[in-house]
Amino acid sequence: MNVAVVDYKLSNLTCVRAAIDRLGHDSTVAARPEDLDGADRIVLPGVGAFGDAMANLRGAGMVEALDEAVNSKGTPFLGICLGAQLICKDSDEYGTHEGLGWADAHVRRLEPGTATLRIPHTGWDDVEAQGDSELFTDVPDDALFYYTHSHAIHANDTSIVRGTCDYGAPFAAVLKVGENIHATQFHPEKSQKFGLAMLGNFLERCG
Amino acid sequence: MLRRRVITVLTFVDGVLFRTKLFEPDYRYTLNFVDAWSVDEIVVLDVTRNPQADRTAFDGVVQNFARNCFVPLAAGGGIRELAHVRRYLDLGADKVVVNTGALERPELITEVARAHGSQCCVVSIDARRTDGRTGEGGYEVCSTFGGTPTGQDPVAWAREAVDRGAGEIMITAIEHDGALSGYDLELCRRVADAVPVPVLICGGAGNWKHFLSGFEDGGADAVCTTNIYHFTETSIQSAKAFLAKNGVPVRVSQ
Repeated sequence: MNVAVVDYKLSNLTCVRAAIDRLGHDSTVAARPEDLDGADRIVLPGVGAFGDAMANLRGAGMVEALDEAVNSKGTPFLGICLGAQLICKDSDEYGTHEGLGWADAHVRRLEPGTATLRIPHTGWDDVEAQGDSELFTDVPDDALFYYTHSHAIHANDTSIVRGTCDYGAPFAAVLKVGENIHATQFHPEKSQKFGLAMLGNFLERCG
Repeated sequence: MLRRRVITVLTFVDGVLFRTKLFEPDYRYTLNFVDAWSVDEIVVLDVTRNPQADRTAFDGVVQNFARNCFVPLAAGGGIRELAHVRRYLDLGADKVVVNTGALERPELITEVARAHGSQCCVVSIDARRTDGRTGEGGYEVCSTFGGTPTGQDPVAWAREAVDRGAGEIMITAIEHDGALSGYDLELCRRVADAVPVPVLICGGAGNWKHFLSGFEDGGADAVCTTNIYHFTETSIQSAKAFLAKNGVPVRVSQ
């Protein structure tokens, strides 16, 4: 299996690739459109600012290439953290920026409404599963995952939400758009055994 | 509900785990002693003082942790510009810890936050009590491995760091480091009350009760331990069970 990990020059690919390697799969770095040719799975990792990430993807011709691979060919896709946010319509991080627009959802700054809840939302927190997602196979209900983000996904189309987390207010923690597009606000590659299990589910059960 | 974190902080000199009580270098435990399944986060710091030193040994340390521990990893030491941040991220760190570099040039914080997000930028503050000499708050920030007093108040510096984009503040009381007599709770409380970002308390933990008071009295979001003798193998797990029993929401091993 060829897992393409998208490089947009901001993100930390090393950890995602180490986790894929630990699960016994090979990965390649996809920085140019042709790098997505023949990909069996695509992972869009995420560390960085939304606007810069989109600008870099656009500049590398990756917006069209990802659309082709994911939406036309149906290649299973996983967006992680910022990578999850990038599939939404837009974000208000440092101005308003248009996203890939695959998910009918917006990214907005976390507003927990109480000073005791600090921003960024950083640390281990719950995911409340809702609806079906292959990602949750063999993952216990009380499993915790590592989040670190100041902005969160709010879906207009709630049918795409497969998991939620609550930090002063609920936000979408897991998305599934169509059959092949998956996204997690938390970092499965940083969430120890259940994170690895979830990543394994994406690689082996999705698509 | 967001859980409070227990973080292991490891300091290295020339790529060798550096222990603050016994100065003899020892490689044996660098990876294996960290209970990677129970610890919530790992911070590795290169505290090699010679600026000309070869840092490739420490690079290997960062890489090793990134490849083998599937928990958040922060790296720091010698960061003066964005290229240094990029290097640590490429080696596999999720976030970076800046200290002296940010004191010398506070714009560095904004550069890191703009390029990689606030969550990527931990500002570490080393402070000591002034005993009425300088600093209005009774504490003073020190740069360069805690050796150079800056005259800055740690609370004011923490606020400025956050305004510039810091996503977390790590506060260390220099006098408490390695003493195992507990954290400086007053220092942490002042900083935690002043900033809206998570605050990590560091320096002085010697037993589980110190963790508890770090959360309850220090107002910390995360407690750090640098002492590898008291927190090895399953002891992080036991410490967390103790914290949970005392009402602190923590991630107990699943």
